[in-house]
Amino acid sequence: MQGPMKRAVSNRVAVTGIGVITSIGNDLFSFRKALFEGKNGVGPVTIFDTSDFPCRLGAQVRDDYLGASFSPQEIRRISRCDLLGLTAADEALFNSLLDLDECNKDRTGVVLGGGAGGMLSWERFRRGLWSGEKRPRPSPLLASAPCTLTDLIARRYELGGYRATITTACSSSATSIGYASDLIRSGRQDIVVTGGSEALSELTFAGFSSLRVMDPEACRPFDKNRRGLSLGEGAAVLVLENYDLALSRGAVIYAEVMGYAINADAFHMTAPDPEAKGVCSVMARALENAQVEPGQVDYINAHGTGTKANDAMETKAIKEVFGEEQARALAISSTKSMVGHCLGAAGAVETVATILALTEQLVPPTVNLEVPDPDCDLDYVPTSAREKKIRFALNNSFAFGGNNTSLVLGKV
Amino acid sequence: MTDIVITGIGVIGALGIGKEAFWESIRQANSGIRKIGSFDTSSFRSNVGGTVEGFEPGRFIPSSAYRRMSRISRMAVAASVEALGDSGLILEGVDRDRIAVVMGTAYGSSSRVEEFYKTLLKDGPRGAQPFLFPETVPNAPASQIAMFHRITGPNTTFCQNEVSAENAISYARDVLMDGHADVALAGGAEELSAILYLCYDALGALSRIKVEGPGSINPLPGGGLILGEGAGVLVMEKRKSALLRGARIYGTLKSSATRGGFASLGHYEPSGESMSRSLSMAIEQAGITPHDIDQIHVSANCSGELDRMEHAQLKKFPGLRLEDLGVIPLKYLTGDFGGAGAIRAAAALLSLHHRVPLPTVSAETLKADPPRPPEWRIRSDTKPQAALVTTSTFGGGSSSLVFTSE
Repeated sequence: MQGPMKRAVSNRVAVTGIGVITSIGNDLFSFRKALFEGKNGVGPVTIFDTSDFPCRLGAQVRDDYLGASFSPQEIRRISRCDLLGLTAADEALFNSLLDLDECNKDRTGVVLGGGAGGMLSWERFRRGLWSGEKRPRPSPLLASAPCTLTDLIARRYELGGYRATITTACSSSATSIGYASDLIRSGRQDIVVTGGSEALSELTFAGFSSLRVMDPEACRPFDKNRRGLSLGEGAAVLVLENYDLALSRGAVIYAEVMGYAINADAFHMTAPDPEAKGVCSVMARALENAQVEPGQVDYINAHGTGTKANDAMETKAIKEVFGEEQARALAISSTKSMVGHCLGAAGAVETVATILALTEQLVPPTVNLEVPDPDCDLDYVPTSAREKKIRFALNNSFAFGGNNTSLVLGKV
Repeated sequence: MTDIVITGIGVIGALGIGKEAFWESIRQANSGIRKIGSFDTSSFRSNVGGTVEGFEPGRFIPSSAYRRMSRISRMAVAASVEALGDSGLILEGVDRDRIAVVMGTAYGSSSRVEEFYKTLLKDGPRGAQPFLFPETVPNAPASQIAMFHRITGPNTTFCQNEVSAENAISYARDVLMDGHADVALAGGAEELSAILYLCYDALGALSRIKVEGPGSINPLPGGGLILGEGAGVLVMEKRKSALLRGARIYGTLKSSATRGGFASLGHYEPSGESMSRSLSMAIEQAGITPHDIDQIHVSANCSGELDRMEHAQLKKFPGLRLEDLGVIPLKYLTGDFGGAGAIRAAAALLSLHHRVPLPTVSAETLKADPPRPPEWRIRSDTKPQAALVTTSTFGGGSSSLVFTSE
């Protein structure tokens, strides 16, 4: 029975399973290899017509990545976003080596972050209507809400614990990981499957294009000549577990979730606050929540979208929070330079990149960063990965509406 | 355990603009379900919904602030203005980093998604209108609330179909108990748009009711889903800080329990197991017995599937005074929407605060066998002291909240 936990277990949170699928790799193994090789995952987008867009590039997941593990019927009925998410969830639960029959499934929850969800499915229906089809097939609508993936994963693995879907655009899945860690820390759940998924869609593509924040070439975060972001898609799912329970079953612990913070800029729906007040505060509060000193942080996986405004603002905020000297000693990278901006999945994909940095003691690079910008004058680890002692790492995600999230992860 | 209390209520809904109008409507069990006037329904198989009428955002928000907001954000911000005003909390001089905003919505601004996508369909990528894009994200209402009041604390949004607002209230409770904030504005919002109606109609999910002329109707339970809209915001804080500032307390959120269930896409969990589990968890955590509950709010929405499931689970649940009390399926009067939980919670809180029982229907009404019009009346004159608000959603999962009076 669920209730306040009486067992004497720690309130630490372990990451014991990881699944990831992006344009640069369809599982953890290939993602890790590509991440440290600095592979560029941005290329032509083919899942919808981009010929009239000024930018036609994105970090699209290859068809052969997705086709392998699903039946034609599933591919027809489940949205692209949810197929990506299920792929990552399957891998995460598989490599957690959890025997779910041995777990208390009532204390095993699913908390994910969502972005546009099954928007691509909705668009097919909507386009059908627009082009005069009498009755476009409505069933894709069933899978178009951002929370269907949460329900699908829970049903697939019969997980009856807490269930929620967080939707704060580009920070959704980072927040979901934070909330999942809260649920474990407070003893409300033993295990939480968390993370997020996003598929490219016309709506988001046209949206960012209309705001003129898309780089017509592959994005180049922190570069002087950066012209905007590249959109991406993918999914990352983590299994979070009570640290003691994980130890007692002999689990492999990839990393520890130390803490997080979320807040609001309360400034503008789409533009970051150039003063970076909200972003400074969210990083500082995350460290406070994690009980980690700024001086103990060695790596920041930056939000680093590649827009003029974000990268300068984020740089300023890092200096403010860490002080000039320590800010210069930090390794900072934007893995969006490889996998694009995966919106609702970005926080989770980047958490996986951060965890890999901790396990490998290797900093993933910021690719395409060639010309330094005087406004972005920190160490962004350009072009190639670098060995570094990393004790604690910060993962930043900032979203539309000014929804900021900062996660703190620790080496085991 | 720290008590979380509710000190402010804001409601923009089909049953009234503002909590006073809402309170008058629910006391009389007026229905807010009527012919939809805000968009053309002639091509659909239904034309009714729980639509918000007579909402003038200018009553709550200066026009410069709401001009560009979507309908859902206007309603959400208006509800937040009412709730904050009602709470007596003066934001000047308060550390706004310590105030949280947590909202739930199933779809966010579906009308903005449609309008923006239509500019793309019509004029191609170069004609897509940038000003329509920002509010396509479901977190827009919570962000607009934060921007309007310049509230910079924890801010997030939940989308979980029909338990979206319950998730938000539950998270807000966690945020307060874990000490991440001192005050939380939490609730839910939804807008009933032409595109949302079209999609539900295309799926054949709606009741096939077509009415002529104005005036509200009382749809038959089991007759098919009725959609609604509205926004509800609660001001939540720790009892101690509420008492310290001399705030009026509507009631205490004693517990919130969420359980996942398993259902096919678009359907409710056939067994209803997650509902009974969330009920027992919520009652246990509240430290009361089922017998103590003197008001039961259910999420029945006329779909039949959900109504019958709730009926079966309530009948089975030991100790509830179901026969004496009846149940309150508020969605019979407001229609169903993802953010409805906050408005249903507001109904419970107002009733606890005024110590006035609400009209109920007999539990058998939910069974809809045979379908009969709900007969709303005051079935018990007990002054309500504990209210249970239970919600189950399609896709699987249930949430139960227990509120107690002061």
